[in-house]
Amino acid sequence: MTTTNWIKLEIPSDTRNVAFARTAVALFASQLDWTLDELEDIKVAVSEAVSNSVIHGYALQEGLVKIEASYEGPKLSIIIEDFGQGIADIEQAQEVGFTSIPEERMGLGFTFMHEYMDQVLVASEVDKGTKVTMIKRVKDVES
Amino acid sequence: MQYDFELVGQALVVTLQGELDLHTSPEFKDKLTKLFETHSAIKDLIMDVKGLSFIDSSGLGVILGRYRVVQERGGRLFFVQANPQIKRILQMSGFQKISEFAKSTKDVLERV
Repeated sequence: MTTTNWIKLEIPSDTRNVAFARTAVALFASQLDWTLDELEDIKVAVSEAVSNSVIHGYALQEGLVKIEASYEGPKLSIIIEDFGQGIADIEQAQEVGFTSIPEERMGLGFTFMHEYMDQVLVASEVDKGTKVTMIKRVKDVES
Repeated sequence: MQYDFELVGQALVVTLQGELDLHTSPEFKDKLTKLFETHSAIKDLIMDVKGLSFIDSSGLGVILGRYRVVQERGGRLFFVQANPQIKRILQMSGFQKISEFAKSTKDVLERV
């Protein structure tokens, strides 16, 4: 059996689709040998990234969110991309507790992504959109 | 997402069932906020999260917002029957500093 596989999804930026996105990616990821906790970690990370696209990228307005998940051997890659307003200061956006909507949000979305995934890369351009790439590797139980 | 609210003395017991995320948290927030507004006697907030299968920062934000009211009223925040995953995310987001974990609502009600 091949050790690579991938999925691509395109969803409208609708809050209802956040649960769908995290469940679909977790279901795909479950083809690899994760613990149940690790699968939950992936769900949280995807939920945060897609939520960011819906509330920050598109400010709860209509838009497109692209989701790609793939793996090569034990390495899972997840890309969440929107074409919304983008992030002016990527470093600041990833600081613990930073949020542009302080009365509503905790500013922990990126913190959870960093905590639950091995690697998180953020590329963004104002008025063009944001692309978040997250990587997590299955741990070698022998080591 | 399902939730039940019960007023017991000066405590509000909230029982959560399902997933609390960006989609489900606004309605939950509205109901919880109204309860705090209409019942000024509520001091303590007891969150029974046994049936909570998922929470992310959207859901945690709602609980943190109500904690601020609890704090203003001199009350305490409790999480009852948190599964390991929920407990981990609560701890990671700093809730262990402002809340207490308990095994049952009955235990908490005996303490407050």
